Amino acid sequence: MSVTGIAGTELGVGRFRRTGQQARDFAGRILGRSDGLVGVVILGVFTLLALAPDLFVGPLQTIVTATGKPLEPPSVVHVLGTDETGRDMLNLTVHGARISMTIGLMATLITIFIGALIGVLSGYIGGRLDNVLMRISDFFLVLPTIVLALILAPIILDIIGPEAEFLGIRATLLVIVVVIGLTSWATTARVIRSQVLSLKERMFVDRARVIGSSSFRIMRRHILPNVVNLIVAQSVLTFATAVFTETTLAFIGLGDPTAPSWGELLNSAQSSGAPGLGAWWYIAPPAVSVVLVVLSFTLVGNALDDLLNPKSARR
Amino acid sequence: MSGRYLGRKLFQAVVTVAAIILLNFVLFRLMPGSPERALKNPHLTPEIIAGNRARWGLDKPLFPDQLVNYVEETLTGDLGYSIKYRGQPVTEVVLEAMGPTLLLIGLGEIIAIVFGLWLGARSGWKRGGTIDRIGNGLSLIFYSMPYFVIGMPLIIIFAAGLHWFPTSGMTSPSGNKDLFASLFDLGRHLVLPLTAVSLGLIGAYSILMRASIIETRAEDYVTTARAKGLADGRILRAHAFPNALLPMVTLIAINLGYVVAGAITAEIVFTWPGLGTLTVQALAARDYPLLQAIFLIVAVSVVLANLAADIIYGYLDPRVRA
Repeated sequence: MSVTGIAGTELGVGRFRRTGQQARDFAGRILGRSDGLVGVVILGVFTLLALAPDLFVGPLQTIVTATGKPLEPPSVVHVLGTDETGRDMLNLTVHGARISMTIGLMATLITIFIGALIGVLSGYIGGRLDNVLMRISDFFLVLPTIVLALILAPIILDIIGPEAEFLGIRATLLVIVVVIGLTSWATTARVIRSQVLSLKERMFVDRARVIGSSSFRIMRRHILPNVVNLIVAQSVLTFATAVFTETTLAFIGLGDPTAPSWGELLNSAQSSGAPGLGAWWYIAPPAVSVVLVVLSFTLVGNALDDLLNPKSARR
Repeated sequence: MSGRYLGRKLFQAVVTVAAIILLNFVLFRLMPGSPERALKNPHLTPEIIAGNRARWGLDKPLFPDQLVNYVEETLTGDLGYSIKYRGQPVTEVVLEAMGPTLLLIGLGEIIAIVFGLWLGARSGWKRGGTIDRIGNGLSLIFYSMPYFVIGMPLIIIFAAGLHWFPTSGMTSPSGNKDLFASLFDLGRHLVLPLTAVSLGLIGAYSILMRASIIETRAEDYVTTARAKGLADGRILRAHAFPNALLPMVTLIAINLGYVVAGAITAEIVFTWPGLGTLTVQALAARDYPLLQAIFLIVAVSVVLANLAADIIYGYLDPRVRA
């Protein structure tokens, strides 16, 4: 079990310190693995596209501003062809990166926040609280996000109305984000809890308790910094799942038509009959993008997990 | 197997199913089309409203009367009436759609278990070898693809392009066929959806089996077998494979929830007349009774599959019965 490169883990100093040299070492170890390198490069490209889509392909085309004829195959003008309303597929796919990845990121933040909170509380406090929280997590472990989202998303959406907005984000997107977040924290909670259980028996936690630190302080200053590694690895893996789930939910018709994520694009391809018409250019760009992003996050996540998670089975 | 282990697992399953029914009950009373809101109509006289409330049992308190009533009806299979299907009982509509889904998922699981476990075992046994590089690479790619993303190119190539298989549906409309002809027709329709479901599953199972066999390889009894001079293939078949299979039992059952959820998206692509296509129709029409019934069926089957896995696992591996 080598967890070198991350200060604090073995030293038991409740602080997450990492010198520049160590960070470089660590980056080198991720990039030194072929899977890690491929993943990081693909992610870099998509992140760039997601950050400034307008810079690469201009503003998002709508039915009004569509520049081509319906379902044009790829040509010099429309490198990836057009959809059934004449919108440029390259334009849509690049903007889709922004929407899909933003939803994925927000859902991941919620998932990790809930998962880490419950994992630390459950592991450190233990007893009856642990029992209750773990039974709840059992429920969410048994029922996959997509099954729960199927029933939760449309009902929540109908209650608040699809036109509602919070902080400038349309309700449809927000509901998907929240539903993914609320239903997928259980794995993270389990992983973190099991690490906390072993941390809590370590000497430095006893020392902190002896000098009179409160439980809250021990969790915040001594436990949390030592599970940061796990949180990072879990976040990356969760992001892959979140993008995957969003794509599926949008595909079955729970997405927002005005914010074409990749899943939403595939949904309109399906409902316009693109597969049967052989319009491969309508399907390939969003489909390949989803697969590349999910795959590269999985690769990076696994690489991180191998390096950071002392219990990883993949070594 | 000790009764205590079995009892605990049974109890957990019952609690989970109870939570699912409770969730359905609560959601049904929150949503916009709920009976209480339908009665908020200024044209209705107080007498009519009171009469309807009494008829639907809304005059009784939510707890315990309405809840007890709801649980009773759910347990007897009365899940209300579909909105989209003109008042047909949803239980009938859902049961009708379950056959095609079971056919697709059942066959897909069998194919995927056979090929996925074989591929995973081969990959993990010769880690870094040719089979591992190609097999594990492909598995990771298929694992990253939603089932419908696997299905769409299949339609483009083999149905729209080559015309080998039909693009959608489960049967051809022409009637008057003998048994053999209709089975052949069903088979032709089944090939592409089944390929999509199997490919997606093979990726997942192969990755899990690979990890399991890599762990098993390091066990002492494998080293012993090697020291005895057994042939490599025999060590894999007789010693490593059966032991690596053990954790797969649970993983396959736990995966079932994802399989059902995933397979229904494959159905949509091929308009396969199962639960997936039904789900999309129910979503589009906001047919909540139908949607809730689908949720209940899928959720309960997942719980039952998990329970089955726990029992089989406890039977196979005496260590977990404690």
